[in-house]
Amino acid sequence: MTGTIKVGRPDARPDMTAHLKGVHEGNAVGNYEQQPGHLPDGRSTAARSTGINPKDRDPIDPAMPNLSPA
Amino acid sequence: MTIRSKEAQETRQLVEMSWDPITRIIGNLGIYTKIDFNNKEVVECKSTSSLFRGYSVFMRGKDPRDSHFITSRICGICGDNHATCSVYAQNMAYGVKTPPLGEWIINLGEAAEYMFDHTLFQDNLVFVDYCEQIVKETNPTLLRRAETTEAPHGGVHGYRTIADIMRAFNPFTGAMYREALQVSRITREMFCLMEGRHVHPSTLYPGGVGTVATPQLFTDYLSRLLRVLDFVKKVVPVNDDLFDFFYEALPGYEEVGRRRTMLGCWGSFQDPAVVDYDYRNMGEWGRGMFVTPGIVLDGELRTTSLVDINLGMRILLGSSYYDDWVNEEVFVTHDPLGNPVDRRHPWNQTTLPKPQKRDLADGNYSWVMSPRWYDDRTGDHLALDTGGGALARLWTTALAGIVDTGAVRATGHSVEINLPKSAALPEMRFEWKIPKWSNTIERNRARIYFVAYSAAMAFHFLDQAMAEVRASRTQVFADFDVPDDAIGCGFHEAVRGVLSHHMVIRDGKIANYHPYPPTPWNASPRDIYGTPGPYEDAVQGMHIFEENGPEKFKGIDIMRTVRSFDPCLPCGVHMYLGDGKVLKQVHSPTLGTSVSG
Repeated sequence: MTGTIKVGRPDARPDMTAHLKGVHEGNAVGNYEQQPGHLPDGRSTAARSTGINPKDRDPIDPAMPNLSPA
Repeated sequence: MTIRSKEAQETRQLVEMSWDPITRIIGNLGIYTKIDFNNKEVVECKSTSSLFRGYSVFMRGKDPRDSHFITSRICGICGDNHATCSVYAQNMAYGVKTPPLGEWIINLGEAAEYMFDHTLFQDNLVFVDYCEQIVKETNPTLLRRAETTEAPHGGVHGYRTIADIMRAFNPFTGAMYREALQVSRITREMFCLMEGRHVHPSTLYPGGVGTVATPQLFTDYLSRLLRVLDFVKKVVPVNDDLFDFFYEALPGYEEVGRRRTMLGCWGSFQDPAVVDYDYRNMGEWGRGMFVTPGIVLDGELRTTSLVDINLGMRILLGSSYYDDWVNEEVFVTHDPLGNPVDRRHPWNQTTLPKPQKRDLADGNYSWVMSPRWYDDRTGDHLALDTGGGALARLWTTALAGIVDTGAVRATGHSVEINLPKSAALPEMRFEWKIPKWSNTIERNRARIYFVAYSAAMAFHFLDQAMAEVRASRTQVFADFDVPDDAIGCGFHEAVRGVLSHHMVIRDGKIANYHPYPPTPWNASPRDIYGTPGPYEDAVQGMHIFEENGPEKFKGIDIMRTVRSFDPCLPCGVHMYLGDGKVLKQVHSPTLGTSVSG
């Protein structure tokens, strides 16, 4: 019953999409640091774009912004 | 569909006229009026919606992290505003803050949305009511005068007479009509660059965005923004010329759709320098937004504090098809600052639908509830309207005098908008001045100024975003844990006005969730105190300027007034479960399949 409306028997629980305890959550604190190429200070390296020789694709001068492609 | 019937009431000859559904808007809105044709006056008006959806019912129990994906589906035109607002509410509940570059990306996406939606609605839907074909049918003498009236800004936009402007908006054939369609396509592309997909964003999340910030992303956006700039520079003076002509040629037209100035704006475009999504600081970071939140009462700024705005919200019944929730659970007794939260506040609302027959005489007649803002100074429950969104945004921003980015400056009595050089036209400055009235024409005029406002702001956001990228600060998302118990609220501006999402989390699941978009405010029916909603209020007592009599009456002045609020009914009520209900679980095939449907 929803208010005074009669509804049929549900074949899905409303909390079906809710999170199951014990399963890995992508948003969990600590996951940012585990992402390849994402540095703790908010910068990023070529490793965020490629896993193939990423260091060769970083800028030749460390003072340059590191702008890896999408 | 127009329905007519006559009835004699007192000494006046009243004709009942109704438009149900009203076209060129989304959803199902009916306007029922009683018109005194002898005195050319609308005597009574009631607005109804026959659409019930139930988001607040079926959100309960779901994972709060899904809420922006689900609530985005409330609307097929401003779904991203819902997603953004939900993300703001989730950020507060999870205690996470989007990194600056992520915030600029959301602002750029929303700026593109305002430009897209306002352009489409104004030039392709609203202006049908002002185009040559319609004016010829409703006010032929006005058209004759327009043919001989020079357009004051003809040198900028290229239309010599007002009638030329009206012809440019004829559906499917007019030049401005067709150009606006092109512009709405380009601005939609701009939106997709930032938020991944229009209108249900795919890269928007609590804590940030999934958009990969590269110089090319911003360059692609900028090149499109410059392409639409010439159009924006032309369309603002086109609007001014046309609307000023209406005032001049139809003395008294300022009274059409006029109501007491009671405008609400919940603020838009977060400033990452100040926003921390902590409720306790909401007053300060709310005022830091690039569209200042506030409530304008009779031309005065009543408040700019989001905390005041939040605590004053009341959801009333009176003419709606619901049972009262007085005996239901109170979820939030006090806000994080210790202020008491009313039982009629969205945090404590329980939706109890009660379908019934529509009774326009003196019973319930709409699925829309009656949101009101409680003014603790006077004890009034104010039926705020949004002025179609843009009017309230510009008005509060102008009066507050806080916003100053160079591109846009609020002066205390106006908003200056500076647009850089574009392909055909030089640098231009527009100034939106606070109008004398909150009426049909000013709601429409403000809309096009807000397109210019969003374009100018987008340049500022691009500068800020590129500064982040050049400094290598490429982080666009932050991680978070979902607490077991939390509350959150998000305040934003949907294209057509105020938008709030209120959420209560228990055991890591949604215990209560109430979105309050602009149309429940604007389309609300008479509340328990008998106060009519803004549409009803604006149309009631209105003088009729249409030259047609009862037999050929089109109700153009009424339609112009209702459409000036930019009605959008899917968000007006928050599942139809009839006999024919079929529930299926469908697996959607991905790429490479040839299965259709």
